[in-house]
Amino acid sequence: MAAEYEHRDRCAIVGIGATDFSRNSGRSDLTLATQAALAAIDDAGLVPADVDGIVRCSHDTVLSHDLADAIGVQDLNFWSEVGPGGVAPAAMVGQAVAAILSGQATTVVVFRELNGRSGRRYGLADTAPDRVGGAGSYDEFFHPHGLLSAGQVFALIARRHMAEYGTTREHLGHIAVTCRERANANPAAQMYGRPLTLDDHLGARPIADPLHLYDFCLESDGACAVVVTSTERAKDLRQPPALIRAVAMASGPAPQPGMMYPVLMRQTITELPARHVAETLYRRAGVGPADIDVAQLYDCFTITVLLELEDWGFCKKGEGGPFAASGAIGLGGELPINTGGGHLSEGYVHGMNHVLEGVRQVRGTSTSQVPGAQTCLVATTPLPPASALLLRAA
Amino acid sequence: MSRLRPVDDDLDTGPFFAAARRGELVVQRCARCTAVLHVPRQYCRACGSWESTWEPQPGRGELYSWTVVAHQVHPAYPTPYTVVLVELPDTGARLIGSLPGEPALQVGQEMEVWFEELAGGVVQPNWRPLGPETDQSHST
Repeated sequence: MAAEYEHRDRCAIVGIGATDFSRNSGRSDLTLATQAALAAIDDAGLVPADVDGIVRCSHDTVLSHDLADAIGVQDLNFWSEVGPGGVAPAAMVGQAVAAILSGQATTVVVFRELNGRSGRRYGLADTAPDRVGGAGSYDEFFHPHGLLSAGQVFALIARRHMAEYGTTREHLGHIAVTCRERANANPAAQMYGRPLTLDDHLGARPIADPLHLYDFCLESDGACAVVVTSTERAKDLRQPPALIRAVAMASGPAPQPGMMYPVLMRQTITELPARHVAETLYRRAGVGPADIDVAQLYDCFTITVLLELEDWGFCKKGEGGPFAASGAIGLGGELPINTGGGHLSEGYVHGMNHVLEGVRQVRGTSTSQVPGAQTCLVATTPLPPASALLLRAA
Repeated sequence: MSRLRPVDDDLDTGPFFAAARRGELVVQRCARCTAVLHVPRQYCRACGSWESTWEPQPGRGELYSWTVVAHQVHPAYPTPYTVVLVELPDTGARLIGSLPGEPALQVGQEMEVWFEELAGGVVQPNWRPLGPETDQSHST
């Protein structure tokens, strides 16, 4: 059993890089990826010739060797990809750790890029086909009835949570407002300088009721990248290393197939695979929820955060709403979350901006720094399976 | 633009739509241990059997959740409309349906199936609230 824990603290994130986040980057996916990767490599005090591994997300249009070619990697000895989509980022860092500890690479760039607003928008349905589904997608059970987007799936989840536990729209509003407050302090956030009140949230137009406008993340153009290397090597580099205490991926039993829609057939829809990721990550890291100083929780929608608060054990099942409304998730609360503004108010880079913000917290350089933060949870735990990592100050 | 039609001849899910064309609502079960195989697939992970049957279901279920779609994401689906998630008794299988507009609904209320004919002979089960006028005429 001990072998399972051998990656503990042995690798570190030593560089972070991001482009601006916008509604229209005016640049290609390759340009965005290149800019983020070069920024991360430079932040680490390295040069592209030092890089020998690249990990991408299955939703990227840029391939690993596209980026290797673009930045001038001399010989790409390791590449890998994780998906689907937003469940990938922590697991992508995990791939880098695995490559380094197994001797397949020494210095790995992990990146995610998307023109998610000006290009392919995940909030819109694909209008090309007339016949939908088949071939293992199971879309034939969902799309013809007009269930066509992730927001609509999470709206069904939210309604059920409201029915089972008495969760309210106001509870969700506290999550939106909290993320907005952090973005208001972050000049890189798309919602910098644009405050949001609880009344704004409650009065906003419905998108897929019970979820309204501010329950949804910001479709964004942008890219993020990090550089991972061994903790030993990290000592000689420019930045204080963010130690990767542990990583975990988990599906839980009977995750259901497909990209997203069949999750509605799970025994319960008000619990995310986050519960299983949490169990594995806490065990591998040797910590529990009380040891987490600050958390970056995947926030495609407010309801996703509410479920994560429960499934990560920060409060009891069903109490995510009152917990969020209590001020616990604010700066100065017992569990400050999404300190860069998150997907709801910084930008939507499919979980990778959460990894970068996690590194800033343990470096002590966040625009909403949690004083003395030693451990930061980065949970990329929507659906269907999911992943997470725990970062620690050196 | 016309509404999306399901692929109804998939190797794993085709029999569900073939039954709908006959006016039957079916759910797949393992022929050996009777585990529910939903969404449909051939192999039973519970007992290892590859044999399954398509079991006719009563045409009623319970409203498990719903959402009123107010923001249009597809040209063939003008808003508002309501997507319902219905849980079947006995099997616990859940199916999606849709209703026009934004009717008053409540989690747990009884729903009944109806068979929606789409272009080209494609038929899919759909769901509506069980009303007093349909209470006796239910035939599936």
